[in-house]
Amino acid sequence: MTASIDETTRRGPMTETLPEDYFTYVAGVGNIPRDIYKYVKSNPYGDLPRYSAHIVLQHILIFTTFITLASTGIPLHYANLFWAPYVISIFGGIDNAQLIHRSAAFVMIGACVYHVLTIVGSTVYRIIKKKFDIRRTQVPLPKDLFDLIHDVKYFLGIEPFRPKMEKFMYKQKLHYLAILWGSFVLIFAGTALLYPEKIVLLWPFDPSFIQDLARIMHADEAILALIVIAFWHLSNVHIVPGRYPAQWTVFTGRITREHQIEEHFLEYLRNLEEIPEEREYMRLLLSELGYAEKKGGLE
Amino acid sequence: MPPNVENDDKETDPVKRRYLLLTMISFFILSMALAGYSKAEAADQENCLMCHKYPDLGRIGADGHVKNYYINEHIFLNSLHGQVACRRCHTYIKKFPHDPVTQKVNCGNVCHIKPPFAEENFSHRKIIDVFESSIHTIKPGDSALMKKSDPDCKYCHLNPLYQRVETINYGKTLDRCLNCHQRKGVTQAYHHIMHRLRRKTSRSSQEIVALCGGCHGNVPLMKKLGLPERALTAVNTYEESIHGKMVTLGSEKAADCISCHASSLLHDIYKPGNPKSSVNEKNLQTTCKNCHKKINKYFVKIAVHPSLEDPHNPFLFVLNNFVLRLILYGTVFGLMGLLFMETYRRKKDGANMKLKSGTSWRKKKK
Repeated sequence: MTASIDETTRRGPMTETLPEDYFTYVAGVGNIPRDIYKYVKSNPYGDLPRYSAHIVLQHILIFTTFITLASTGIPLHYANLFWAPYVISIFGGIDNAQLIHRSAAFVMIGACVYHVLTIVGSTVYRIIKKKFDIRRTQVPLPKDLFDLIHDVKYFLGIEPFRPKMEKFMYKQKLHYLAILWGSFVLIFAGTALLYPEKIVLLWPFDPSFIQDLARIMHADEAILALIVIAFWHLSNVHIVPGRYPAQWTVFTGRITREHQIEEHFLEYLRNLEEIPEEREYMRLLLSELGYAEKKGGLE
Repeated sequence: MPPNVENDDKETDPVKRRYLLLTMISFFILSMALAGYSKAEAADQENCLMCHKYPDLGRIGADGHVKNYYINEHIFLNSLHGQVACRRCHTYIKKFPHDPVTQKVNCGNVCHIKPPFAEENFSHRKIIDVFESSIHTIKPGDSALMKKSDPDCKYCHLNPLYQRVETINYGKTLDRCLNCHQRKGVTQAYHHIMHRLRRKTSRSSQEIVALCGGCHGNVPLMKKLGLPERALTAVNTYEESIHGKMVTLGSEKAADCISCHASSLLHDIYKPGNPKSSVNEKNLQTTCKNCHKKINKYFVKIAVHPSLEDPHNPFLFVLNNFVLRLILYGTVFGLMGLLFMETYRRKKDGANMKLKSGTSWRKKKK
């Protein structure tokens, strides 16, 4: 079976010549073409590790509390609209909904604390074990900006292939930062709304201003989060080609091979180092496709 | 022949009409008998219902409005004033049949009703005294419009039905009262207390806001009456506040108009400048403490009627209307644009929607 990737990649006029970094040489595996993700076999439930059980649990906690918080909070913000009383009646009246909103908020804050502990703990552990690599974390780096520009060029058809990205690409880092900022705003504004008599002691100069600011920010940040999650996040993870109708990473913590190679190529190279089975799989696939022998080729 | 013409023939048939008349008369007699069976012993000692029981009893007044004088006995007997005879309030009626009514009922009358455990006859005089010192009473210097606009007792107070407290086993508890007490007075007192136990007011918070907002939300009228600037927007700003939104959604805990603007006397509503007012600066802490137990002197400075309008709050106005909106639309449209571009190119590159038999990428023919 010698299907030539060179032919399949020559689709548009832009890809007449292959880019310099088309092949990536991995010792013991071979030359990996950038678009190998179109030829690999993937298990829809995930092939490669992405999230630990802690992160999966935190995500479940966050999204269940988020749905609860949004469905009890948004009708209150839009109390005058016709649908608001119906949504509130699901929770047994606004006074119950208030209690549910506050309880869910505390669970979510608990999940945030749990997440911070996980992140700090695992980072310290990795530093001690000398395995820590900032490129595998959510910390934004200049490369992410270049990746974004490169990716937009790919979307516009200027670049033939997507950038080689880390475990967390620019989208995920953007979203993670947004969640950090959003949780910060929502938790502080929510605290100001829940304990107005305590917050005025922190800023006794203009109590009205603080309350109004908290009210605006809490509602606005919540609506922003809701819209971004309902339209962007859910589409990105469940609706776009290759992920439809559902991506199981949310529960299994594992990512499909083709997804990992396409969007997180550099992380995939680390997977090859760390997982012997994956190395074996890729070596066999490359030899099937006829790339195993081209040692050092165009690396 | 079309069917409707046939019907017309039937109606004009004299025999059919006679039967119809007979049925109507017998029905009338039967309903008279049933009506006489109801418990009319308390309120209608003087048989006012002889005329007022007819639902269509009424007239067209000089102003062209239809006035209805119908009294539904069953509803009236279960209302707060069900035990009060008609002429205890309508004292100006001296003969039968009575003249056209020109006077209004005076709620300050002393009824000839002695509540259980009370020494003197009942009267609303005390609360009327409170009301007559409040902002809503007619004062000597008022304009004609103001005199017309000030509410009287009956503007707010209907004759409501007793409402039950759902959490209490109503009948069983009453049965135990009746072990010792006489039915008549105690049943009424029990109904009364249970009704009042529901809330501070017998209207729900939503109804209170609708009642007050009926006039105070009418900005042109309030302007004509010369109310200060902040009172003109009071209803709107309240509905924007957390209290207002909670009440709109049916909260029984959140503050309505009366909760703050009156003490437990409910009728002592004054201008905020008046030291007797519950929203006077000196009394604010006491008023807020009714619900917010742990408060301090800074807490009461939080706006209960918050306004994000331009002149009051320029920073928050710009933040709310421009900055946050820009961020919202910018973020959403930016991200969605990126998503659509990405999906378009990936589909063009050969991505299928579903991951089927191990891949979501279309194989090119070899």
